[in-house]
Amino acid sequence: MPASLLGPYTRTILVAAVLAATLAFALSGARVEVHTSLLPVFEWMETTWFGYIGKTWGAAFATVEAVHLLGLALLGGSVLVAEGRLLGVFLTDTDQGVITARCNRTFNIALATLVATGVFMACGVALKIYYLPVYWYKMLALGGGASFHYLVRQPLVERGPGEVNPWLLKLIAVASIMVWFTVAATGRWIGFSG
Amino acid sequence: MLNEFIYNIAVWLDETRWSTMLHESYYMYNWVESTHVLTLMISLGMLFLIELRMLGLALTDVPASRIAQRLNLPMLVGFSLMIITGILLVYAVPVRSAQSVWLRIKMVLMAGLLINAILFHKKLKAAGTDWDDKPRAPRNLRIGAMLSFGGWAIVVMCGRFIAYDWFDCQYTDSEFIAFVAGCLDDQTRF
Repeated sequence: MPASLLGPYTRTILVAAVLAATLAFALSGARVEVHTSLLPVFEWMETTWFGYIGKTWGAAFATVEAVHLLGLALLGGSVLVAEGRLLGVFLTDTDQGVITARCNRTFNIALATLVATGVFMACGVALKIYYLPVYWYKMLALGGGASFHYLVRQPLVERGPGEVNPWLLKLIAVASIMVWFTVAATGRWIGFSG
Repeated sequence: MLNEFIYNIAVWLDETRWSTMLHESYYMYNWVESTHVLTLMISLGMLFLIELRMLGLALTDVPASRIAQRLNLPMLVGFSLMIITGILLVYAVPVRSAQSVWLRIKMVLMAGLLINAILFHKKLKAAGTDWDDKPRAPRNLRIGAMLSFGGWAIVVMCGRFIAYDWFDCQYTDSEFIAFVAGCLDDQTRF
């Protein structure tokens, strides 16, 4: 007898509902109001030290961009190896739990690097990105990706062997790869939209 | 002499129809560039995990040689895609690319890193598997991994810097930069 009304997948269903609500919000008129109210925050970002350095010292900005790319590479490696293991493509002779747990550690470091360098870069071009739709798509993808990773994928992957349907794990792995490549692609597209 | 030769080749490439089409196509050029960046996640992603394993910083309870062997193929696939898209990016903007200080540094570094990779694999084979379950690889392999990690970090940095025009031939006043970039006094294309 499940402890919750929604059964063993309560958190997954709730996250899916939150993501659906976020998507509905992004497509509704309320989004415009929130977008307008956020303008002072982006104006303030440009006045911070990060904003000042990013705008006036191109070499520093470019170096941080490069560190952002290194973080992206590490994140990609962590995701591909962990999901490749779930899909039965890589390291099939090594325990699935060990690979996913260890890769999650490098994933966390990579994501922290990406967020830290991303904040710096955003401060340097705050007003530019404020008016770019693709920046908001990236934030939506990033928020969705992080929620998916920590609230859906991790709890399912951390369950013991046999507790989760293997096909569900494969589906999770494919979704994870798609989500993080989408985040990376939307991020790259910010550079083309200026 | 060599710089003139490189410039003439670049001008010849610049005059080809496909180069112009690739450069002028907003979507095609951006897709190629995006693919070049996204393949970082495959090529360097795999490479970094192998190196972090050698340094004892990731996946320490998985045998090191197993990690190196199993991730080698996807890493090479990633690098192949990266090289193909990289060549296309140079082909789209040949003159500027050929005279980019950053691309030249990147090419020299990549040649060095290729040698490092070959040596690393030789040492990996020679080291056997006695150390496989230890958290850190033997010292010579760790040095190779550190060189590779640092080298690729600089390659990525140079790659990012190519987009900036700080040292482009038509803007630089520095004779040293002009020498490294291979700028010519009488060049008409940039």
